[in-house]
Amino acid sequence: MFDRDVVVVGGGPAGIAAATALSQRGFDVELVDQRAQLGGAIYRQPIAGARPVKQSRFAARRWQHLHAAIQHAAVTYRFSSVFVGVDGHGNTLIEDRNQGRLVSVRARAVVIAVGAVEKVIPRPGWDLPGVVTAGGLQVMMKETGTAPQGRVLLAGNGPLLIAVAAQMAALGNAPVAIIESGNPMAINGNGLGLLPHAELLADALGYLSGIVRHRISWRRGTELIALDRAGSQLAAELRHADGRRETLLIDQVALHDGIRSNNFGLPADQAGTTTMPFITRAGDCREALGAIASQLDGMRAAADVAAYLSRKPNDAAASLDGIARQRAAQAVLATMFAPIAGPPRLTALPDETIVCRCERRRLQDLKLLLGGTGALSGREIKHNGRFTMGACQGRFCADNSARIACELNPGSPLVASDLTGSRWPVRPLPISALLGDEPAHHDQSARDQ
Amino acid sequence: MTERSFLWNDQPIAFRDGESIAAALAAANVRDLGPDLLGQPARYFCGIGACQACLVSVDGVLREACLTPARAGLAITPAGARHV
Amino acid sequence: MVSTSSLSVIIIGCGIVGASTAYFLARAGVQVEILDAIEPAAQATGSADGAVSVASKRPGPVMNAALAGIALYRELAVQGLFEGAFKSRSTFVLASSPVEREVLEAHAAVLRSVGVRVEMLTSTDLRARFAPLSDAVIMGLEVFDEGHAIGYQIVHRLLSAAPVNVRRNCRVESFLRDGNGRVTGVVTNHGPMLADAVVVASGNGSADLLGIPDVLIARKGQLLVTERAPALNAAMPGAIMSGRYLISKGMQAGTALASDRGYGTVVDPLATGQFLIGGTREDSGEKATNDAEAVAEVLRRAVEMVPGLAGVRLLRAFAGIRTAVIDSKPLIGRVPDADNVYVATGFEGDGICLGPVTGKAISQLVLDRSVDLDLAPFSPARFAQLGVAA
Repeated sequence: MFDRDVVVVGGGPAGIAAATALSQRGFDVELVDQRAQLGGAIYRQPIAGARPVKQSRFAARRWQHLHAAIQHAAVTYRFSSVFVGVDGHGNTLIEDRNQGRLVSVRARAVVIAVGAVEKVIPRPGWDLPGVVTAGGLQVMMKETGTAPQGRVLLAGNGPLLIAVAAQMAALGNAPVAIIESGNPMAINGNGLGLLPHAELLADALGYLSGIVRHRISWRRGTELIALDRAGSQLAAELRHADGRRETLLIDQVALHDGIRSNNFGLPADQAGTTTMPFITRAGDCREALGAIASQLDGMRAAADVAAYLSRKPNDAAASLDGIARQRAAQAVLATMFAPIAGPPRLTALPDETIVCRCERRRLQDLKLLLGGTGALSGREIKHNGRFTMGACQGRFCADNSARIACELNPGSPLVASDLTGSRWPVRPLPISALLGDEPAHHDQSARDQ
Repeated sequence: MTERSFLWNDQPIAFRDGESIAAALAAANVRDLGPDLLGQPARYFCGIGACQACLVSVDGVLREACLTPARAGLAITPAGARHV
Repeated sequence: MVSTSSLSVIIIGCGIVGASTAYFLARAGVQVEILDAIEPAAQATGSADGAVSVASKRPGPVMNAALAGIALYRELAVQGLFEGAFKSRSTFVLASSPVEREVLEAHAAVLRSVGVRVEMLTSTDLRARFAPLSDAVIMGLEVFDEGHAIGYQIVHRLLSAAPVNVRRNCRVESFLRDGNGRVTGVVTNHGPMLADAVVVASGNGSADLLGIPDVLIARKGQLLVTERAPALNAAMPGAIMSGRYLISKGMQAGTALASDRGYGTVVDPLATGQFLIGGTREDSGEKATNDAEAVAEVLRRAVEMVPGLAGVRLLRAFAGIRTAVIDSKPLIGRVPDADNVYVATGFEGDGICLGPVTGKAISQLVLDRSVDLDLAPFSPARFAQLGVAA
C-alpha cells in the first residue's frame, strides 16, 4: 500500500533535523530538495574552491552538527526535485528534474519543510533587472564565494541587511550604503532584550563590527521610495527621516522587508488515514523564526510523525521551549527594527506601482477592483484582479495585496492565504514531466546513501 | 565555446563546476535575462526558486536559472524568446 | 403586467445563473437580493471550462437554448457589458481515426441542418490554418461563431453593472410560508427574509430545498490552466475538441469508449496567452480535488493533438462540482406548487453558455412578460416530486 514511511521535503535545518531523527528511529525516510546539495538557503554550501562567506562560529557549528548527523543516518535522497503537492488520492507528487518526470510516492507521512520567503514591499521600479532580494544576493555569495559586482545598495528593513553588508565587505565589495527604515541603535534599551539570546547577539555584534570596520554607511530611519533606470545603472530615490530626498546611482539594489513562511498552496496539516498521509509542516514554512527554531521544529515534526507511525506517546515537548525562546528573540528584533515612520502604507504608493509582477498588476488595478462593491474575498481578488494568479503563485504579492485590501477596507480580516488557497501544483510544473505512460510510481530512482 | 561554458543567446558564458546558471550569468554581468512570457525583462531575484522571475529556457525546457546547475553545452535563451 | 418598482425578489445562489437573473431583474427595476452560501461564483461557475459552444451538441432543446445563449453573449459584448470578457472564436472538432472521421462527417451534416455554420477541413487545410496540430489529426470540423467566457468574470461584470445586493455566507434552510401555504420568503442562517418571489439557482444546493435529491447528480470535472505560451497560443485560431469526445457523448451507438472517468479533450487558447485544458466528467467525485492520474491523462491527450504543449508549464489544476439532471436537461421554470417560486439549475457543463440566456428567461417569467426562450422542454413539472412543500 505505501512505498515509504516518510517523505521530508526540504534540505534546510528543519528538513535535515526531521529526516535525521526519523531515520534514527528506524523509519524509511526520503528527503527531497530542489537543489543538488543539502543546506537550504540558510546553509547554502559553496561550490568547490569557493571561499565561504563570513558567518558566526555558532552558525558554522550548527551546520557541522546537522550535516554530520544526517551523514550517519540512512536517509534516501532525491535531489534536484521540486515538491508539487499531495493529490486528492493521497499521492505525494515530486517533479524529479534529474529524470524529467513527475514521481508519485505513496508515503505514510509527509514533513513539509520548504522554508521562508522574503517579504518585499513594492516600490516603483522594484521589478527592474538589477533589483534582487537581499537573501537572493546572499545565497549567491554563499554559493560562489564572490561579492556581487559594481555599486550595490541594500535597502529595506531588518537585521539581514547588516549581515549581507558585512559578508559583502568581507568578500571585497562593500555596499554603497544600507538604507534601513528602522533605527535599532536609537531605541531606549530595547536591544537589551537580546542579551539572553547569546547566539543571536553574537551574530549581531559580529556583523555590526564588520559594518564599523568597513565604514559602511548605515542610514537608519531612511526609506528607498523608488527605483528607475538611469542608462545602464539604476537611480535609487531615498527619503531621509527629516523628509530630505536623495538620489543614488547604483548597479544593483537588494531589497528586504523581513521574512515570512513559504506556505503558499501547501496542503494543511492533517492526521493520516488508510489512504491519506499524515502531513505536518516544519520550520520556517510553519512559522518563520529562523534557523535555530527551524532545527528545533524539525525535531518536533519528527516526534509528531513518530508518534503517529508507531502509535506511541509524543515526545515533542522538549523542542517547544526552545522554539518559544526563538519566538521571543524574533519579537525583540522586530521591536528594535520597527520602521520609525510606522508600518508602510501601501495605498500611498504611486498608483502605477506594480503589485503583482508575474501578471503585471498595479496598485490602481486593485484600487479600482475594490472601489466598487465593497469587501471582496481573497478568491474574488485573485479571480477578478488576477493578483496572485501568476507563476510565483502569490509568493511575492499575496501579502501585499491582502495588506492593500485591508488598508482600503479597515477591519477586513483578509490575509495572504485567502488569496492563494491550498492546491497543487504548488509550483508550475512542466507538462513534459507528465507525459510518461502514467505518473511514475515510486521506484528506486531516489538515491540510497 | 570552451568545455566549461554554455550558450546564453548564442554567446558562450563560462561557469565553475557546481555553479547555477544564474550565478554564471551574474558573474558575466548579465542582469537582464531577456523577455519573460509577458515580454517584461526577467531577472535574478529571490535565489530560491520562489519568485519565478529568473525563468529561462534551458535546452527548450523552462527552468529557474537560480536552481539549475550550469552544464557545458546547454543552450539557454530568455523564456519569452522561444518559438512555441 | 406587474409593477416592477415595488417587486422584491430573492435569488438563491450567486453563480452565473443567479447573477444573470439578478442583472435582468434589477435592470427592470426590481429590488433584488442574492443569497449565497459562500460567495459569488464559488462553485461550478468559478471552475468551469467556459465554453460558449454548440460544437458537441445534438439538435434538440438544449442546442436551441445554446444557440440563443451564444447570440446573447454576442449582443451583450456589443453592448459593452461582456466586452473583452467574451472571446469570439471557432471550435475545431478533430478526428484522428477513420471512425472519428465518419462521426465528424455525420455531425457536420447535423449541425448544418439546424443552421450552424461549419466547414470540413482536410488534413492539408488544417495544416495551413492550424500549424500546431499533430500529424495524427486527419480531419477537422470547424464550427464557426462560438466563443469562450470565464464564468467568474461574467458574474463580476453582471454584479458590477446592476444594483444588486449580494449576501455572502448566507445559507437558505427552507422556504417561509404564510397561513395559506404561500411562499413569502426564505429562512436563512441569518434569520427569515421576505420577498415577493424566490428564484432557486443554487446548483446541488437546490436538491434538498425542492425535494429532488434523486433528480440532481453532482458531477465533477477536473480542468487545467497553463502558463502563457504567446506564440503557440497565437498560432491556434480556435479551441480544439477531440472527435473522441463526440463518440464518448454517445453520438454514434455502439462506439462509446469504455472509460470510468469520461475524458473529453478540449484545449482552449485564452485571451491571456494561456491555455485552458479539459477535462474529466466524473460521477464519483463529490470532492473538488485533483489527482495526478487524471491530470496526467488529460495532458497526455492534449499533447497528442498539440505537441507544442509539452514545452509549456502547468500553472493550476482545479475541479468543479456541477449539477446534472438525471434526464440530461436543465430545470428551468416555475415550481409547480407555487406561483412565485422559480428554479433554474442542472446545466452540468453548459452553465456558462446557458447562464445569461436562462437568467433573462427567468426574469421574463418573474415579470410576467413573454419569454424569448422555449422553456417547455425544461419544465420542472416533469418531476412530480419537485416542489416547495418538500
